[in-house]
Amino acid sequence: MKKHLGASGLLFSLLVLCTVFAGGVYGAGPIVIGVPTSTGFVEGKEGLAIVHMAVEEINGKGGVQVGSERRMLAVESIDIRDAAPGVPVPEALLGIEKIILEKKPTALVIGPFRSEALLAGMDIIAKYKVPMIGTIAMTPASEEKIKSDPDKYKYIFRTCLNAKYLVTYLVGVMAFVNKEFGFDKVYIMNQDVAWARATADLITKNYFNKTGWTVVGHEAYPTGTSDFSSALMKIRSGGAQVILPIFDMPQSGILVKQWNSMRVPAMLAGFISPLAGPGAWKTFDQKIGGAVNVNFELGSAIASQKVPKSVDFFASYEKKFGKPMEAGHGPAPTYESVYILAEAIERAGSLDPDAIAAEIKKTDRIGVMGRIRFDDGHQAVFGMDPNEAAVACVFQWSEQGDRINVFPQSIADGKITLPSGLKSAK
Amino acid sequence: MFAGTVLYALINSVILLLMAIGFNLTFGISGVSNFAYGALYIMAAFATWMLMNLVGLPYFLSAILSILFTALVGALMYRFIIMRVRGQVLSEVIATFGIGLAILEFFRYLGFVGIEYSLPVFLDHSFIIAGTYVDMQRILIVVSSVVLILLLWLFIHHTSIGLAFRGIAQDERTALTFGMDSDYIAMLSVSIGAGLAAIAATVIVPLGTISVGEGYEVLLNALAVCIIGGLGSTGGVIVASLFVGFAQRFTDTYIGSHWTMIVSLVAILLVLVIKPSGLYGKQKELEERI
Repeated sequence: MKKHLGASGLLFSLLVLCTVFAGGVYGAGPIVIGVPTSTGFVEGKEGLAIVHMAVEEINGKGGVQVGSERRMLAVESIDIRDAAPGVPVPEALLGIEKIILEKKPTALVIGPFRSEALLAGMDIIAKYKVPMIGTIAMTPASEEKIKSDPDKYKYIFRTCLNAKYLVTYLVGVMAFVNKEFGFDKVYIMNQDVAWARATADLITKNYFNKTGWTVVGHEAYPTGTSDFSSALMKIRSGGAQVILPIFDMPQSGILVKQWNSMRVPAMLAGFISPLAGPGAWKTFDQKIGGAVNVNFELGSAIASQKVPKSVDFFASYEKKFGKPMEAGHGPAPTYESVYILAEAIERAGSLDPDAIAAEIKKTDRIGVMGRIRFDDGHQAVFGMDPNEAAVACVFQWSEQGDRINVFPQSIADGKITLPSGLKSAK
Repeated sequence: MFAGTVLYALINSVILLLMAIGFNLTFGISGVSNFAYGALYIMAAFATWMLMNLVGLPYFLSAILSILFTALVGALMYRFIIMRVRGQVLSEVIATFGIGLAILEFFRYLGFVGIEYSLPVFLDHSFIIAGTYVDMQRILIVVSSVVLILLLWLFIHHTSIGLAFRGIAQDERTALTFGMDSDYIAMLSVSIGAGLAAIAATVIVPLGTISVGEGYEVLLNALAVCIIGGLGSTGGVIVASLFVGFAQRFTDTYIGSHWTMIVSLVAILLVLVIKPSGLYGKQKELEERI
């Protein structure tokens, strides 16, 4: 009987040990960062590459300290395709839910492209209580939603520029060309998606209508549009001096080529994603001299010597992947988001989503795009000085193929110059 | 403004025609709905890009090789996949759509995403026509389309293979009794259709950049034009291209650009309601339904 009791005791002890050991191994497993995004677009493709880059850097330094143990980070991604024309929002939401349920991520980064998908996806994020730091979708409506129910949506943050901040940078550009060259006639061309519509409406209402500009025309183009000749003819006949494009679709490159080939006598100043990176000079046959583009975050395919971390980031990417970064929206905030997340986990000392979300909110970090802090709507604060806030970067393509930073003043290396062939209205 | 709109509407129509002509030819001869058509278009563009940038071949040689390669892929696709399901329309559609999906997603998987994937224009110059600037590439698209249509007409009407094409298109069983190999002719029709997709890509892609998503757009455009014109009817495709092309540009100019995308869809709906077989379609069974 004693023998049996002894054997049973030994067996029980072994079982307990195995359970504890197994639990220990599970506990020491990697912390999964989920990346649901549109990997078929350059912003998503480079964003995912940058998540891997940041994770490798963090793991190379020993990983993340969670309480008393060090844990490595791991990346799981899914292509939710929401940036592609015709892909319905529910399909993107299914992708977000799938990665949450199947990969059990501790947190998500990048997130949806389309603001429509973000707004709808916020309820899924809240339901599963997975902190998410978004770096692409830009509608300010998400901030209002967070403010309307802070407890429910406390897991959702954004490190990239939003449409309201984008307008402040565009206003800076428009005010400059108005003051320097006397331009006051603009033609607005935007992609027919939430963030671009919001940007066009905000700048029209808050700036053009109040400062005496004439909006010669305003066209909204469905994603996938591949001919802009009608608007370009209207621009010529209407005498617009500035074209304000707001596009993140690859087909907007056609607009650049048509602007060139149709010899439209107006300055291109806004955001066209294919114009953001250094490769645009070759893609557009060296004919984009004078075009002004807002890269949504410093570090996203553009660096400033005045913010050395942005230069290091740009160089590290090129060294690791063998070619320069091309996406003017997403890369820098994505890189920062991984670090923000890692730091928040360390401060929280656990993987509890509420604790992580609370720590993310307390972020105060100087990184590649300047200083990052979050406001009440969980939006990273953008400003004009990288020591005080995150910054976007407006640059102008020179006739020699260089990109000259022109705004904000704190990171500018030059001023906007009149493109060749255009005359000042002063 | 009006003259400029007409000019760009004409160019738009020709672009639509070029996009659709290969799809239409394949369907008209063999009855195969090649839903991999858009993917073949993108594959040809990427093949040209790779030959230029990775192998270092000159542009024209790269373009010719990629056209031949795409035509070969079309032939192999027929020989090893479509031939096994030919005649079963749903199976054909599923098989070809699956192939197209595989091709496009394979390029996406390989990382063919970004603005560096573009092709150069043949001649970098702009002209003023009717008071509107038009670039040489668009003029070239119009000229090459006219030449292509003429060559196709000559090929179909003045060569023995063209005669066989027409024979199979008119009545496959009767053609078989005359010793025509219908599978061989169908393979050629898929192959030539794929080659035409490649030619379209070679001249149209330099207007923008190559993106995987464009493959789906090309397929939708081709389908829209062919359905409106009447599947298999070359004359119908020409008329439908003009109709859709002009409607799109005039909507863009005088109504609003955000309505442009639905023009072709509305046209399809109208045609299906009024004349289900298309403007020049000859499918009696469809006509008899209304």
